[in-house]
Amino acid sequence: MKKGTKKARDNERDLAIVTGWRTPFCKAGGPLQGAAAADLATHVLRELLDRTPLDPRQIDEVILGCAGADAREANVARVAALRAGLPQTTTAFTVMRNCGSGMEALFEAQRRLRAGEGEVFVVGGTESMSNFPLLMGPELTGFFTRLGKARSPLQKLRALSRFRPRALKPRIAVVEGLTDPVTGLMMGHTAEKVAQRFGIDRAAMDAFALQSHQRAAAAAAAGHFAAETVPYVPPPDHRAAVTADDGVRQEQTLAALQKLRPVFDRQNGDVTVGNACQITDGAVALLCMSAGKAKALGLQPIAFVRGTATAALAPDVMGLGPVHATPPALQRAGLTLADLDVIELNEAFAAQVLGCVRAFADADYCRRELGLDGALGEIDPARLNPNGGAIALGHPIGATGARLVLTLAHELRRRGGGHGLATLCIGGGQGQAVVLEAA
Amino acid sequence: MTTTEPTRPDAATPAADPPAAGTVLLQLGSDGVAELRLGAATEPVVTWTRDRLESLDRALQQLATVPALRGVLVTGPGPGMFCAGADIRLIQDITDPAEGAAAAVRGRTIFQRLQQLRVPVVAAIDGPCLGGGLELALFCDLRVASDHRAVQIGLPEVKLGIVPGFGGTQNLTRLCGLGTALQLILEGKLLRGKPARKLGVVDRLVPSARLLASARAELDALIATGRKAPPRRLRGLAKWLGKAPLRALVVRKAEAALQRGQARFYPAPRAALRLCVQALTLPPEQGYAAEARALGETIVTPVSKGLVHLFFLTERSKKLGKLDGARDTGRALVIGGGVMGAGIAGLLAHKGLRVRLCDLDLGALARAKARLQKDLDKQTRRRRLERHEAQAVQDRLAVATDWGALQQTDLWLEAVVEDLGLKQKLMREALARGLPDTALLATNTSSLPVTDMAQGLLHPGRVVGLHFFTPPEKMPLVEVIRGKATDDAAVATACRLAVRLGKFPVVTTDAAGFLVNRCLAPYLNEAARLLLEGNAPEAVDAAMLEFGMPMGPCRLLDEVGFDVAAKVSSVLQAAFPDRMVPCELFAAMAAAKALGQKTGGGIYGKDGTGSGPGRAVLKGLQKQRGTPPRSASRAEIVQRLVYPLIDEAYRCLDDGVVAAEADLDLGLVMGMGFPPFTGGVTRHARALGLANVTAALDELARAHGVRFQPSDGLRRRALGG
Repeated sequence: MKKGTKKARDNERDLAIVTGWRTPFCKAGGPLQGAAAADLATHVLRELLDRTPLDPRQIDEVILGCAGADAREANVARVAALRAGLPQTTTAFTVMRNCGSGMEALFEAQRRLRAGEGEVFVVGGTESMSNFPLLMGPELTGFFTRLGKARSPLQKLRALSRFRPRALKPRIAVVEGLTDPVTGLMMGHTAEKVAQRFGIDRAAMDAFALQSHQRAAAAAAAGHFAAETVPYVPPPDHRAAVTADDGVRQEQTLAALQKLRPVFDRQNGDVTVGNACQITDGAVALLCMSAGKAKALGLQPIAFVRGTATAALAPDVMGLGPVHATPPALQRAGLTLADLDVIELNEAFAAQVLGCVRAFADADYCRRELGLDGALGEIDPARLNPNGGAIALGHPIGATGARLVLTLAHELRRRGGGHGLATLCIGGGQGQAVVLEAA
Repeated sequence: MTTTEPTRPDAATPAADPPAAGTVLLQLGSDGVAELRLGAATEPVVTWTRDRLESLDRALQQLATVPALRGVLVTGPGPGMFCAGADIRLIQDITDPAEGAAAAVRGRTIFQRLQQLRVPVVAAIDGPCLGGGLELALFCDLRVASDHRAVQIGLPEVKLGIVPGFGGTQNLTRLCGLGTALQLILEGKLLRGKPARKLGVVDRLVPSARLLASARAELDALIATGRKAPPRRLRGLAKWLGKAPLRALVVRKAEAALQRGQARFYPAPRAALRLCVQALTLPPEQGYAAEARALGETIVTPVSKGLVHLFFLTERSKKLGKLDGARDTGRALVIGGGVMGAGIAGLLAHKGLRVRLCDLDLGALARAKARLQKDLDKQTRRRRLERHEAQAVQDRLAVATDWGALQQTDLWLEAVVEDLGLKQKLMREALARGLPDTALLATNTSSLPVTDMAQGLLHPGRVVGLHFFTPPEKMPLVEVIRGKATDDAAVATACRLAVRLGKFPVVTTDAAGFLVNRCLAPYLNEAARLLLEGNAPEAVDAAMLEFGMPMGPCRLLDEVGFDVAAKVSSVLQAAFPDRMVPCELFAAMAAAKALGQKTGGGIYGKDGTGSGPGRAVLKGLQKQRGTPPRSASRAEIVQRLVYPLIDEAYRCLDDGVVAAEADLDLGLVMGMGFPPFTGGVTRHARALGLANVTAALDELARAHGVRFQPSDGLRRRALGG
C-alpha cells in the first residue's frame, strides 16, 4: 500500500467491489445494433454470475442505470436479471440520472447497504444508443385516437380526412435526449460555453482527443480492456463474436482531427465529433457487497468505495459537474486531490475535461462557485484518464458511470494499490464522483 | 348429492366404501346433473382396462334409467389427467383378428351409450386425452379443454401399429373434416389445447382452475336450449376437402406419402386413411363396423406387436430416470463447441438447463448460437414456441472462451476431440477450478475408455459417459457408460438427465464401442467390403432401405465421416482383432480427404446426391484387389450386413455390455435406426429363427472368412430354441 488511509482500512460496512465485467463498447449502428439494452445487460449479468463462485441466491438486489430504456423493457434491470437466470425472488430496479445513471446504481447500493436493506448487490448500466427510437408526436397520436373512437363509416372517413403528412415527421430521441429542455442547449453547446469561460481553444481540444485515442489504443494493446471485457455474440443473427471496443482509433492523426468541422456552433464553435465522446452501445455489471460479506464468502475484492457525492450546478455549464462533486467525495474519503493516484474523468467533450482541469486549479472559481478557501489543486495530466476515455471508447449514457468505476478499479489493481477518483458530468447540470481504494 | 359406485348401484351411502381405483365414478346431483369421473383422484394415469370399460358400461346403463337426469359432465380423475387411452397390455394380448374386432365393437358400443342418452354430455379435459380417451370425448356432445400443460389431445394409435377402434376415425373425420383427421390420425400427432381448439377438436379452451365451472356452464347452456348437441356444420376448406373432387386429390396425396420412405412398412396409416374416407361415404354403423374390422386386422400384425414391444421398452427406459440417488441437474458446463458440443448445449438449453458452452474458437461459439437460433426461429414460425420462450432458450445458452467459476455447476461435460490425455487434463482442470464434489464429470466420448479418464482423479465415482448420437437434438438414444469406478449415483443422475432431455438412456459398461458403435462396426465394415467387391453403393444402400433402415450404410458413412469410422474401427480392432479388422476403404478414404459431408463429399457428393470424390478411391482399391467385380443379391447384402449385427448384439449381452435383451432392442432401434416395426434386433432374430441365423453365419464364414463365425452364445441360444 502506498499510503495509509485516514479511515479504518477494513470497515466491514464499506462497499467492496468484488468483480465486474462489461461488453465491448461499439459505435451505435455497429455490430451491437441488433441487441436491445436488455440483451446487453442480460449478457453482462449472466457472465458476471457465471464467472463468480457466488450462489446467485445471495444477491439481494440488481440495480442498473439506463437513460433511454425501451418502452417494452422500462425496468430493464428486472428484465435482464430474470433473463440472466437470477432467482425470481431477487428484486431489481432501474435508475436514471442521465450520464450518471451507471454511477448512481453504485451509489444506490451503498445507500441500501447503509440502510440495512441488503448486503450483496449487482450494479451497473446498459445503453443501446443504436435503438434510441424515432418518436411520433402528439399529432399522430391524436389522429389514431380520433380514428379509434370513430364508429360509423362517415365518422371514420372524417377522421381519416384530417390526416396531415406533417404528423409523420419523427422526433429523434437521441437528439432530444441530448438537449437540455430547461436551457434549450444541446450538450455540445454547453461544452462550447465551458471552453469560452476558460479560454480553451480548438488545438487543445484536438490534442486531448488525440491523446485519448493513443492512450486507449495503448491500453487495449496491453490487454487492460480485455481484463474487463467479455466477448459477446449479439442477436439477432449471432453471426460473429464481438470481442473488443470498436471506437478506438490507433491510426488517429492530429491533422485528421483538425480537418473536422464544428458540429454544434458551426460559425464560432470548436467542438467537433472528433473531440467529443462517441455515441455507443454497451453494458457494465459490477458485483458489490459489504467488505464483511466479501470476507465471509471468501471473495477477494478489487476495490473499496471510500466516498461518494453528487452535486448540481447551472445546466448551461453542466460539463463542470466533476469540479462540484469531487470535493465532497474527497472529504468523505478523508483525502485531498493530491492523494489521488488515478483520476477517471468522463470525456463527454475534450473542452469540458480541460475546463474541469482548469477549474480545479482556479482559486477564483473554487472560491466563488464552491465556497472553498482556494484552488483544489493541479491535476497531473499523467494521472488523468491513463487508459483514454469516452472520446475513444464511447459513452453509452447509462453504462458509462459503471465503466469508469470498473476501469479505475482495475487500474488501481494494476498499480498495486492507492486511491482513485471516478467522476463525470451529467446533462441537466449535475456531477458525480466516487473515491475508490484498491483492495 | 349421492355418491354411487357403479358396481353396486344400490349402495347409496357415500361413506360406506372408498371407490375402487380402476373404475369410473358416478355422482348424481340433486339438480339432475351427473358427474362421471373416469378414475379415482388417487390414480395418476387413467387407461381403459377391461374393468374400467365395464364399470363405465354399468354407470351409463344406470344413467339411462334416471328419469330426472338433465345432463352429464365427463371429467378426468383430477387435475392434469383425462384418459390416456386403452391399456396397452390389452392390445399386446390380442392375437386373433376376430377377438380384436369384438373388443373394438364392445368399447365403442359402451361409448355410444353417451350418444344415446337424451340429455347433453360435456367432456372437461384437463390432461392427456389420447386414443380411447379422445374417442370417448368424441362421443360427448361438447368438449371443453383447459390450458393445463399436461393437456395432449390426439389419436396416436398408428404409433402402435393399429388404427383407432372406438369410433375415432369416424367421429373425428365427421367433426373436423378430412384434412384435420388425416393430419391427426396418420401421423399420430398430439395437440396442445390451443391448436386443438383451432382445429375444432375441442369446442372451448379455458384456464385449468376454471375448467369444471366452465364445463358446467356450457352444460347448463345446452340444457337451457333444450337440444342435446350444439348444431355443427363444416365450413370452408374443411367442408370442401370432404367433397368428391377435392377428396380424391387429398386421398391421392396422402396415399403417395404413405408409400414413400419408411412409411411403406407400416400398414396401419393406410388402413386409417381408408377409414377416414369411409367416414364420409358410408352410413355411421357401417363405418364403425369397418373400423372394428380394421382394428382386428392391424392389431395382430407383427408390425403392431413389434411397436407395442418397443413401447414397453421405452417405458422401461424412462423408468431409469427415477433411480435412487439421482440428483437434479440445473447448471451445466459443456467443453468443446464442435458439432456435438454445440448440439448438446443447445439441447440442454432447450430443456431448461442453464448451459455454458466453452471453446477456444470464438467462431465455433458464434456458430453454436446461430445454429440454436436457426432451430428456434423454425419452431417459432411453426408456432411450437412463443417468441419469449425462444428468447429464454437462447438466454440459457452462454458461450465463452472462459470456463468461469465452476462452484455452481452440476454437470461438466466434454465433447472435445478424442484424445485421452486432453480429456484427462480438462477433467483435472475442472476439479482444480472448484467443481463441486456432487457434480457429474461426463464425457461424450465414442471410443475412449471412461475408466481411463477417471484414473487418478479425486472422486472418480462421478466420471460417467454420456454418449449422444449425431445430431444430438434429434437422435433419441443416450448411452450412459458406467466406468469401472463410476458409482450408482452418477449413473442414476446421468439417466435422469437423459430422460429429462427427452432421450432414452441405455446403461452400458465401459467396453470398446459401447453398444451401438460396436454393433455398427461389423455392419459398416461389411458394407465397405461389399463395395470393394464391386457392388454399387446405390445397390447396397437400396437393399438396406428395403430392409427398413432409415438410411443406407454408405450414406451413413458419409454422414459419420470416414475419419471417425477409421478411428472407431481401429479401437474396435484392438479389442476384437479376429473379427473386427477394418476394411481398408476407411483408411484410404481418410487419407484421400474424402471424409464425407464434412469435406467435399465421400461416396456421395457433398450435398448427399450424385457421386463424390470417394468413388475414385473405391475404383483404385477395386483394381488393386484384382478380382473381377461381382454384384451381390439384395438378400445376400442384407444377410451379410444384418446377421453379423445380430451376432454382435448377443455378444454384447453375453459380455455384459448391457444387462438385458431389452437394451439391445431399444438401443439399436434408437441408436442406429434398426427398423422399429421389427420390435428390435432380438425380436427380428427370433422371427428369422436363431438356428437359421447361425447356419447362415456358418455358411458366410466358410465363404468369406472367420469374421462371420457366430459366437458360442448365439449357438447355445439357437440350440435352446
